[in-house]
Amino acid sequence: MRTMICMINIMILFLVLSVAVLCNRVYAQERAEGRGKQYCLDCHQQKGSEKKFADGSWVATYVNADTFSRSVHGAMDCTVCHQEFVQGHPHRSFRSRVQYQIMASRRCRECHPDGTITSRAIHAALLKKEVLGEAVVCTNCHSAHAITRVVAGNAVNAEEKRCMSCHSREGRMGFVNGEAVPTHVDTTELRGSPHKDVGCSDCHFGFSATEHPVRKFRSEREYRHSSSEICRRCHYDKYSKVAEGVHFALLNIGRLDAPTCVDCHGTHAITSPAKSRLAIVRKCATCHSKVYAVYAKSIHGNALFNEENRDTAICTDCHSSHSIKDTASADFHDYIPDKCSACHSNAAIMGKYGLSTEVVKTYLSDFHGMTLSLYRSETGRRFGPPPAMAVCTDCHGIHDIARVSGADMSAMKGKLLKRCSACHPGATENFPDAWLSHYTPGLRVAPMVYITEKFYRIMLPITVVGILFLVLLDIRRYLKNR
Amino acid sequence: MESVTISGNEEQVRRFCAYRIIEHFALILLFGILACTGLPQKFYYLGVSQSIIVLLGGIDNMRFIHHIAGGLFTMLALQHIPVNIAGVMFFKWQPSMLITFKDARDAFHNVRYYLGLSDNPALGTRYSYKEKCIYWLVLMGGCQMIVTGFVLWFPVFVTKFLPGIFIPLSKTVHTSEAMLIFILVITWHIYDSVLSPDVFPFNGSIFTGYAKKKQMKMRELSATGEDIRAGEPGLLVDRNRPL
Repeated sequence: MRTMICMINIMILFLVLSVAVLCNRVYAQERAEGRGKQYCLDCHQQKGSEKKFADGSWVATYVNADTFSRSVHGAMDCTVCHQEFVQGHPHRSFRSRVQYQIMASRRCRECHPDGTITSRAIHAALLKKEVLGEAVVCTNCHSAHAITRVVAGNAVNAEEKRCMSCHSREGRMGFVNGEAVPTHVDTTELRGSPHKDVGCSDCHFGFSATEHPVRKFRSEREYRHSSSEICRRCHYDKYSKVAEGVHFALLNIGRLDAPTCVDCHGTHAITSPAKSRLAIVRKCATCHSKVYAVYAKSIHGNALFNEENRDTAICTDCHSSHSIKDTASADFHDYIPDKCSACHSNAAIMGKYGLSTEVVKTYLSDFHGMTLSLYRSETGRRFGPPPAMAVCTDCHGIHDIARVSGADMSAMKGKLLKRCSACHPGATENFPDAWLSHYTPGLRVAPMVYITEKFYRIMLPITVVGILFLVLLDIRRYLKNR
Repeated sequence: MESVTISGNEEQVRRFCAYRIIEHFALILLFGILACTGLPQKFYYLGVSQSIIVLLGGIDNMRFIHHIAGGLFTMLALQHIPVNIAGVMFFKWQPSMLITFKDARDAFHNVRYYLGLSDNPALGTRYSYKEKCIYWLVLMGGCQMIVTGFVLWFPVFVTKFLPGIFIPLSKTVHTSEAMLIFILVITWHIYDSVLSPDVFPFNGSIFTGYAKKKQMKMRELSATGEDIRAGEPGLLVDRNRPL
């Protein structure tokens, strides 16, 4: 009897243990099926908790259950992304928040491999930088738990809604020196810009649905320069050109008034530069007002302002947009003929206005042009720096370029003599006539030169052919005599 | 002409004095420098020109060398013309380089000879019509180069007296004439003095001062410098004077 009771007890114990194991398996299965999400949220719905990293940085552990359930991943269980938490809540340590985010981004890329995301330019650009060693963190743009479907800018719109809940209102962002900038963002302007499909956090790096770091800047200029660094992430090619330019050189010596990306392109109301050439000129005028006033009266400025001519030269045509060189440097001066040539050797453009396309060719075939082109090819191989050669702007002016016919012509001749005298002291009024003013010699212009050229053009081949003929006759006769 | 000397098995006669030899040496040197520093300027866009320019330390250095050589060439020409005029006028030098009607007849005769209408070539004088032609073309061309080179070197000075158009005109003449002289020298003169079957492999009389008697015979000159065709003008040579 006692033996039987013992066996029954053992069976009951085995049954209880079996039920316990079964219950545990059922619970684990429930978690695996997503019903265990609430298990995680029991803790992670609590605000105020955070995970700290070795370098002192931190990340909030709070998850908004409503936002998450509306996100594209709302139907998924936490452990689909946080796979290491399937069997418990292991303690992990990271050097920094960035390291943690990079690890987290690897999970994203398991389901969204590179090949599936590179069709979007921003992904392609970021992955290109990753090769160069720059970390790519998915959550910087897409956020962690509030991810919405990326179709027709929905992700952007969702983010925009979050940001605009505050930034649609008037507000000011203050700086240490007392300056302030408005924080209001006009979404109409933003949607009309080339960045209409870019989310707020794409540019405002470090900001997301859950994070809004507080930053301190000493001045508005410091903030502007800091903001411009954001542009570099996607427009590195332009940034590297700017780094070679005169504006960046000013910044390098501590001049915070040096223009930066947002000064020329704007912030949220960025427009394509190709849309308005007039706007480009006016943008430059904000700093270069004196030059602007001179340019406005020139033949180029007149065509732009009075005729809205799209062919006329504007600031960026000569100075370029990003790699703006020091105009006092030989690098800029010696390449001025190339800049003028871009339009003045273009038959399609010049044909519209009946202008000659031979101007650069005639310049290069003359003393100054020929010497300049040799100086340029000798760069780095000469014994010393070459002297400055007269280029287009030396005769025609720089920003005050005038028409070279009619009443303006006589004024130009006066300027020409003055300019010639700078390098050729003692030059008389005959001296500038040595230059044929871009004309090729003809019966009407410089007939003496034209006739002389023709004479030699005929004489040279006759001489060569004549001599060869005589030599051949001499050899023939010699062979015959033998 | 000086007495006959024997070199090897061939009899040689004195043809040029030291003055002419030095003058010709100087002319070769200056012509070479002017051509090497001038042609790359005319054809500056060619790779070989730019290599030469860089080799000489840049276009400024090349122009400097060209100017110096041009100045020396001017001095060579300036001494040559008055020295020879004075020699003919006061020292009884024979004006053997003057072009005569006989040269025209020789040229015409040689055309007939080349075409097979005559059995013998023209019998020249001390200098053949070919040598006279190249001499006068180089001399006249050289004078043109000197004048136009001066205009190009000192344009500010020149335009104090002349219209500015003379600068591009001088440039055209200078560069074109240079080409003409260069072609004449490297084709006609080199053929006539080096490659021609009559003198091949080399007529070195202008360098040694002596010419082969056999060759001089062809020019109807006796070993003593006297014309075997008596009565021809301008052939008697003062043996003690520069030629």
